[in-house]
Amino acid sequence: MSESELTMATGHEVVMEASPYHMEKKKLGMWIFIVSDACTFATFLFGYGYMRVGSQNWGTPFEFSSILNGIIMTFVLLSSSLTMLAAVRATQAGQKASAIKWLGLTMLLGAIFAALHLREWFKMFGEGWGLFSNPMGGAHQFGACFFSVTGLHLTHVVTGVIALAFIARGYNRGRYDASHVETAGLYWHFVDLVWMFVFPLMYLMNAAR
Amino acid sequence: MHDMSAHAAAHHAPPSGFIRKYVFSIDHKVIGIQYTTLSLVAAFIGMALSWAMRIHLGWPSASIPLLGLLSPNGAPGGVPTPEYYLSLMTMHGTIMAFFVLTAAPMAGFGNFMLPIQVGAADMAFPRLNMWSFWVTFVGFAVACATFVIPDGPPISGWTAYAPLSAVGQVAGPGQGRGQDLWVLSIAFFCVASLLGALNFIVTTIDLRTKGMTMSRLPVSTWAWFINAWVSLLAFAVLLPTGLLLLLDRVGGTSFFIAGGTVVNDKVLPHSGGSALLYQHLFWFFGHPEVYIVIIPAFGIVAHVMPAFTRKPLVGGWKVITFATAAVGFLSFVVWGHHMFVSGMSPYMGMVFSVPTLIITIPSVIVVLVFAFSLYGANIRFTTPMLFCLGFISLFISGGIGGFFLAQPAVDSYLHATSFVVGHFHFTMGLSAIFGAFAGFYYWFPKMWGRMMNETLGKVHFWLTFPLVYLVFMTMHLMGLTGVVRRYSAYVADFMVPQIPTNRFMTVAALLLGATQFIFLYNVIWSRFKGPKAPDDPWQATTLEWDTTSPPPFDNFGGRQMTVYHGPMEYDGDAFVMQTSPEKSLTGT
Amino acid sequence: MSSKQEPGMSSYAGIVVGLMIIVVIEVILTYQHLPVRTLLFCLLCLASLEAFVGIMYLMHVKYESPLLFWTIFPATLFVLVMLNYLWPDAYRMARMSLGY
Repeated sequence: MSESELTMATGHEVVMEASPYHMEKKKLGMWIFIVSDACTFATFLFGYGYMRVGSQNWGTPFEFSSILNGIIMTFVLLSSSLTMLAAVRATQAGQKASAIKWLGLTMLLGAIFAALHLREWFKMFGEGWGLFSNPMGGAHQFGACFFSVTGLHLTHVVTGVIALAFIARGYNRGRYDASHVETAGLYWHFVDLVWMFVFPLMYLMNAAR
Repeated sequence: MHDMSAHAAAHHAPPSGFIRKYVFSIDHKVIGIQYTTLSLVAAFIGMALSWAMRIHLGWPSASIPLLGLLSPNGAPGGVPTPEYYLSLMTMHGTIMAFFVLTAAPMAGFGNFMLPIQVGAADMAFPRLNMWSFWVTFVGFAVACATFVIPDGPPISGWTAYAPLSAVGQVAGPGQGRGQDLWVLSIAFFCVASLLGALNFIVTTIDLRTKGMTMSRLPVSTWAWFINAWVSLLAFAVLLPTGLLLLLDRVGGTSFFIAGGTVVNDKVLPHSGGSALLYQHLFWFFGHPEVYIVIIPAFGIVAHVMPAFTRKPLVGGWKVITFATAAVGFLSFVVWGHHMFVSGMSPYMGMVFSVPTLIITIPSVIVVLVFAFSLYGANIRFTTPMLFCLGFISLFISGGIGGFFLAQPAVDSYLHATSFVVGHFHFTMGLSAIFGAFAGFYYWFPKMWGRMMNETLGKVHFWLTFPLVYLVFMTMHLMGLTGVVRRYSAYVADFMVPQIPTNRFMTVAALLLGATQFIFLYNVIWSRFKGPKAPDDPWQATTLEWDTTSPPPFDNFGGRQMTVYHGPMEYDGDAFVMQTSPEKSLTGT
Repeated sequence: MSSKQEPGMSSYAGIVVGLMIIVVIEVILTYQHLPVRTLLFCLLCLASLEAFVGIMYLMHVKYESPLLFWTIFPATLFVLVMLNYLWPDAYRMARMSLGY
């Protein structure tokens, strides 16, 4: 009998097969969730593509100001990924204060993204855009596709910011450790990656050129 | 390689208090029982709905008991209106497909057994597991709520095709609030299933005990694991489909509603949408869904049979598991066979028809493995084994109908006839249920610590088995004559001669329903009065039989479980448990 | 337990800047008056490149077990590929509304 088989505590530490992914379970769980969420976003985007291909006068309404806003939003989100990485780094090095600072910055950047997004939305509402109204006379599916796709993404961003707040607080109090922050980081990067597709497909493809 | 630092599933202290122990429990065993109980309740509700439908089809002007009480509007004097018939049909399908067939074999038995079979103390995420059940419960409650709202349940079928499901109240009774609640119910179910699938996957990968390599997993665990992947990817597409439908209904969008749609003399303002898009997205989920229903049944039969044939399955764990994985994979490539007559591109018809025929290959391999594994076996004809044998027969019978439906030319005649209804009832409603029954009778002693009554079990089987053939094989024949499904009335001349056939089926169906009460009685009586069950009443090898009946709260009482063998170490009366260091009987 | 030879923060900053540059390229391409299909193809390629870089580096998959890569990519890509079966009917919808 090997050493490991003998060192068996009563009820708590049991010997198990190693994870083939060499990864602890919450991180693996987050990856599995990401796979399913990617499929969900893909369905929305394919639905948008179907509507667009099938329509006659889709229209390309976004002036350069909207595209510029989109570029700024993209840069904000990309920066937040960098600050998230810095936060994960700090937790792995045990630098608690630094980690909280970087997490806070990530949340701030996420909030800025959401604010810019909402500002744009309200500007569009003011111009007459809605879920089924197109003030430029083009396909009224435009609003349906645009607001549902960006709305789903925005929901993920806001949920992410709130989750990061809980993670940061828990980490600060010692309830959560570096692995929790890393797992949250995976979610945050995923949200950024989805935007890498949403921005070209919803904004650039609809730019008034 | 053993990872001592890997933290096992939450080694939580035993819960105290009724609420923590039996209501909001994070123990996978309790959650499994909760799911199973929910499915049982749902099954009887679904069956009752089918009785109402059946009586109406056989005797169109008959007053159906209690129906008039349930809905004075929908069934004045107990006679369902054509719309209410469709409501009954919609909720029968919805409740059965989701809350019985997807819940019991996977969430019910899987939750109870999977952690034990891999040697873990609980699922990877016990709290998430609890949420999964309660979200499912809320989904079920919302579905049932459609019966008590004034306008009644939706009439669009479990498939809820647009534009009927998308245009709102104008489409008729049940299409207002009823359809909204339906979409909500399904959305809850999606979320719960996604979280459940995640739990199953991570548990199987990360929480296996020492010696439990993937090649030593019981086939039922493999089936739940494969099924979890299929569920994950399929429900991930259903959820947005439901959201898009909801947007069409309440947001005024036109994802699924084409221009110029006239409903009940009202021209709708929507335009630009595509009902075909809904069908594509729905069936992208819908076809894998039917495999989500059957794959756990494959796993259960593969798990139960060796214990009663007292020999390994033909091909060991590999053939059956790879065939099941192939079925799971191919299930994503065939969905268009539900759409051959929908107006879909005819070229796509070919593209879907060929893989549909190909998917029969691994399905046939699975069934042949079961059938050939009987050869040369000294079979112990216990109730679980009888239901396994019944499964083999039913799946072959139902599957053969699939060959016809897989071909667009033939399907253009058979689509939307009773032939299809017979086909999917055989494969889903009967085969999967027989798999679930096999699991229920097999695992009841472990789950509740008592033996079920074997005589009642055999009576249950020997009455159910011929009756299901009488009901559903007749349904195939009726479909061949062209009788249309989802019709409550005999609108065409050629359907009227089938009224006696319908009456015959109704009588058989009511007898079949009555027979299930024998099962219910057995369950309830045995739960409280059955003889105490030993740890291993079936002389089986897998880990769930190496612990008490029922298991302690952490499944193994803190013991280190070490696995030495695969799950099929049977040789007649001799057997070697997976956790026994004795020599292998099968030379593996 | 996951990192083998992880890059430092400066490398990550470089990667993020690289992603920003790809975004700028996408915007420039948008205003080049390309045919719609060509623009779409280019944008999808660039977005996929960004996603791949993001997954491998920002999400560390390059430094994890290869099994992770071979699990998440085939599963997700499989669904993405299968959803492409929608296009024939999308194009038919376009043609039918034009009357042919």
